[in-house]
Amino acid sequence: MVVAHFPAMLLFSFLVSVVFGVLAKNTPRERIIYGAWVFAAFVGVALVLGWIMYPVP
Amino acid sequence: MANKVAQEAISERAQPKPGRLIWLCAAAWMVPGLGHLLLGKKWRALILFSAIVIMFLMGIAMQGEFFSTGTESYLQTLGYFGEMCVGLAMPAARFFGYAGGNPLFVSADYGSAYLIAAGMLNALAVLDTYDIAVGRKP
Repeated sequence: MVVAHFPAMLLFSFLVSVVFGVLAKNTPRERIIYGAWVFAAFVGVALVLGWIMYPVP
Repeated sequence: MANKVAQEAISERAQPKPGRLIWLCAAAWMVPGLGHLLLGKKWRALILFSAIVIMFLMGIAMQGEFFSTGTESYLQTLGYFGEMCVGLAMPAARFFGYAGGNPLFVSADYGSAYLIAAGMLNALAVLDTYDIAVGRKP
């Protein structure tokens, strides 16, 4: 299966965020908030790093 | 102060026997989420199992590499131990004919990252099982 960079990164971020949320917090509400935060951080940092590295040959 | 009170509460609680702890951790390592299931955390077990197994299967679908300890590369050795943390999924994949990936395949690097991450997440799940079993976590 060939998966493009961005969907692969999104799926990876989602699955890791789900596990982090489940393991790190104790209530469902905290888990959802923390998981969403981790997911946003993964995607945001990846996009920022991608743009920073864009001019690098 | 609060920390001391919490520590005393933990020590007063009935501690599981070492044999049961080892069994729980081994079960959690062999099958993602099984440790939580044995502790009665059904939903947590289901979510962990689904996320880790999906990650492992995606790694296989992308032709991720099964590393070995037979190389001189420390990173590959670390990758081997990382992938081993996923438990029975690796031997099961070999049993069903997965030859260990194709490093020249276009998505192979992503696949390897997925496989190693699945193992690392399962290692966290094992530690979480231990914490729940000894009463450090609800």
